[in-house]
Amino acid sequence: MIDQPGADLYPQGEAIQAQIKKRHRTGRIWRYLFFTALVLAIITLIVLMLNIINQSFGLVAEQNAVPPNMLVRDYQEGRLLSASNVVTSEDDFYLAEEIGADPQATGFFGYAFFKNNEEQLKALTIDGVAPNAETVNNGEYPLTRPLYIYTTADILNSKPEVAAFVQYYLDNAPAVVKGVGYFPAGTEELNAAKATVANALESGGGTVNPADHAGTIVASGSSTVWPVTSAMSIWFEEDGFAGDVIVERVGTTGGFQDFCYAATTDVDIVNASRPISQLEFEACRSHDREPLEIRIGTDALAVVVNHENDFVSDVSQAELQNLFVETENWSAVNSAWPAAPIRRFIPSEDSGTLDFFVDTVFDTNLEDLPYDSLVEILAGGISLNVGRRLEREQRFYADTLVFEDQATWDEVCAEAEPPAGCTAPPRDQNNVFLLVQERIVQPQFLETWYLWPSLTQRDEIVRTVAEKYPNAEVIFQSWINGQFITSPQSSTPEIAGIRTAILGSLWVIAITFLFSFPLGVGAAIYLEEYADHTKRFNQIIQTNINNLAGVPSIIYGMLGLAVFVRLLEPLTSGAVFGAVESGVTANGRTILSAGLTLGLLILPIIIISAQESIRAVPGSLRQASLGLGATKWQTIWNHVLPNALPGILTGTILSMSRAIGETAPLVVVGASTFITFDPTGPFSKFTVLPIQIYQWTARPQQIFRNLAGAAIIVLLFLLLTMNATAIYLRNRFSKRMG
Amino acid sequence: MESDVPLPSRVIQTSKTTETLQKRPRIFEWIIEGSLFVAGAISILTTVGIVWVLLSEALLFFRSGEVSLVDFFTGTTWQPRIGEFGVLPLVNATLMVSGIAMLVALPLGLATAIYLSEYASPRVRTFMKPILEILAGIPTVVYGYFALTFMTPLLRNVLGPDTVQIFNTASAGIVVGILIIPLVSSLSEDALHAVPDALRQASYGLGATKLETSIKVILPAALSGITAAFVVAISRAVGETMIVAIAAGAGPKFTFNPFESAETMTGHIVRISGGDLSYNSIDYNSIFAIGLLLFFMTLTLNILSRRIVSRFREVYE
Repeated sequence: MIDQPGADLYPQGEAIQAQIKKRHRTGRIWRYLFFTALVLAIITLIVLMLNIINQSFGLVAEQNAVPPNMLVRDYQEGRLLSASNVVTSEDDFYLAEEIGADPQATGFFGYAFFKNNEEQLKALTIDGVAPNAETVNNGEYPLTRPLYIYTTADILNSKPEVAAFVQYYLDNAPAVVKGVGYFPAGTEELNAAKATVANALESGGGTVNPADHAGTIVASGSSTVWPVTSAMSIWFEEDGFAGDVIVERVGTTGGFQDFCYAATTDVDIVNASRPISQLEFEACRSHDREPLEIRIGTDALAVVVNHENDFVSDVSQAELQNLFVETENWSAVNSAWPAAPIRRFIPSEDSGTLDFFVDTVFDTNLEDLPYDSLVEILAGGISLNVGRRLEREQRFYADTLVFEDQATWDEVCAEAEPPAGCTAPPRDQNNVFLLVQERIVQPQFLETWYLWPSLTQRDEIVRTVAEKYPNAEVIFQSWINGQFITSPQSSTPEIAGIRTAILGSLWVIAITFLFSFPLGVGAAIYLEEYADHTKRFNQIIQTNINNLAGVPSIIYGMLGLAVFVRLLEPLTSGAVFGAVESGVTANGRTILSAGLTLGLLILPIIIISAQESIRAVPGSLRQASLGLGATKWQTIWNHVLPNALPGILTGTILSMSRAIGETAPLVVVGASTFITFDPTGPFSKFTVLPIQIYQWTARPQQIFRNLAGAAIIVLLFLLLTMNATAIYLRNRFSKRMG
Repeated sequence: MESDVPLPSRVIQTSKTTETLQKRPRIFEWIIEGSLFVAGAISILTTVGIVWVLLSEALLFFRSGEVSLVDFFTGTTWQPRIGEFGVLPLVNATLMVSGIAMLVALPLGLATAIYLSEYASPRVRTFMKPILEILAGIPTVVYGYFALTFMTPLLRNVLGPDTVQIFNTASAGIVVGILIIPLVSSLSEDALHAVPDALRQASYGLGATKLETSIKVILPAALSGITAAFVVAISRAVGETMIVAIAAGAGPKFTFNPFESAETMTGHIVRISGGDLSYNSIDYNSIFAIGLLLFFMTLTLNILSRRIVSRFREVYE
């Protein structure tokens, strides 16, 4: 071509400039395209991670068969009621009188009753805060609860008598609330409430004359607010109201239940001793009732002693707890106080005041209750048969039996195949807490949402839950949490965990390491240091290893199934060693089989990486050692191996992280689909983390996807730790060689 | 060799003992060498084990009288319940997944390799390569989860839920492709890197741009290495199990529609062996027949790639 010059073949002048420009432009475009491919790979990685995170966190609609705070409350009330020298009464007047007569007495009840008996009693300050209008209204005094009435703008507008009553209520609230013995809301709050009502009214409000109205007004709800609304209704009727005001006592929750969740309701006003919950609010909204919140005052509890009591005037919150439970003498609560017995006068079991006191003063979590109490709660909620079964699995106390009687127990344990409970150590706190969760609390996740919608459509989700599941609670769930990691597998997703799987993975990986590390390094030493590469057999070994590295992992699983599980069953099931636990024989589908299978799988990888490390050791080292008269093995052991070790370890760790993520071969070898007990040794049945993920992923319900996502995070964390170790070793290694 | 300095008498004495030592057989050394040889030979045993296990069980399958070799390779239904053992639906699904995977991994992996080898600054390379390594180190079950919970919904959103079934080979194939991108790119990059710099400089000297050098000079020079990388990648895609087991669906189906569910060879083995499998049943034996076919497919591909590489090596020696 070069000896055929032609103007059309080689562009000249501007044409060549244009051509060069064009070529460079094409070059740039392609450069970006190549770069895009790389960026795409990175984006994939990010999306993959975000996808997992998206599914491992999010809102859930949770419903408990028994709310845990109720169990805690029962427990705490039990402690209060069983304290020494305790007298309970429904009648607050009685309590006030008794305390007024006994200088060593203490007790608590509504602030109103303290006010009525002020001359005989002394209210204690709590952490230095005395109960009075100011501290109660601004919340400094701890033992308070706000009082509200709720209604809706629609009701106010469609029923003028209700509007009149509410306005009348607000006008007279300070007097009536004070009269009943509560703390009226501050002037500002009352004015705000009045403005709310006036805004809601189409007529704009104004002065009210009860005599202008007739009809029936129904108020329902809290028994704490009941006296206020009752008194108000009497005033209202006395001022000329021609109709009826019905005031019912069904408790705050009951009031909202009638008002918000029913399709139609005749309740006009809800009395409430707590603010409306988010779900109740949404439930109301879903029935087109937008609740109007009207704060009318505050209730406070007074902790009182006899007016002659001169040693105590202030208690801390911690002392308050001790004052009413377990301690016998005043001195046991505070050493500055006398060693006289405390005489306690408290409201009785059914009283809302007791509930309120316990909820505010004893703020504990279910899992922190003492072991005995948890066992008691459990025993109270399950049948004897279930209890016996649990006890046979693992007993509750080393020395006593809870469900089983001693004679039967001895008999059962004397059988040829005694249940695990006969020998296993007793359950621990966490174990029993989980049982209480599973059997008593029975949390149920009715529906779950991913992280992204949980963040962006929170309100909508809450509304849906309020409509679909009136008794549920919307909580933000981190699927990966302490309970998830420490609980065994369970068919109930709410309490399922991955402890069994993590332990299984660790056992399997330990066997894999013990098997493949010495073999792999041995083979590498042979191939690098001993083998004569001109010999056909050694060449075959090398080629074979390279080919084995490319065999799909599932083929190794089939090898393991045929050889370790079936052929070598006596060995891998532990029968040869007499280690078979009767009744739970795993038929060779054991940790040992799994570990050996994975060992074969990663053997080629270990050999190849170890070979590379050994090859990297300078030959001069070997020659120096041999020259000094060391034998071949001495040279290898003392010089080659120590120098190659970091490289060998790096390769081994990387191949271990491959093994820990392997799923397919273990499915084939026969990992158990469902086991709830921890593996105890190489002859146990097993499940591993990736298998657990696989099984959860394969389930259609979304909740299992959430669990799978959380398990994946744990698995990736495990891998990351291993790989970081490998990289650290690699860096140290390369520095030393340099 | 004679020394100017006379050796101390003690050393001379020991040299005598050394002579005797050398004549003595070193039993310990022999034992060591012997056991190391055994360790090396274990790998041979593994291969023998694999072939023996697969062959013997597959033989039982073909001897059972329920299926002939011809039916096995040409039948288009796999329904063990009614005695239909045609492996084609499984092979077809496997090939479809691998094909889709290669459509993803081939351009992306190669482009990444070209960028990293020819364009990227060393700084970019040290930053990017670990990221690709992370991608390669993620367990396949995680990719399966990704396929089912991200790729499938994505496809269903884009193409419509009527077109795309919940389990489909397209989603599994794309994710298998993502899985093997790092493999393709790192092997291809090695091949590109191995091309002598002289070729690049010669090309630049003739006035070629970087793109022209990369595509018209370096790529052809490294072609056999890159081909080998692709072949290895195909073999990896064929043997990939968890992604297809999770995302491609259960139940063998002879279909060419990538948006329908179809079970691959590996997916079938996992599903059958994951259940309660009774040994010596026709089901049990049949998975070994499939395994044998799978083993030979991947082995052929691996040997092929090695052949290609060894030819490539001769070019520059």
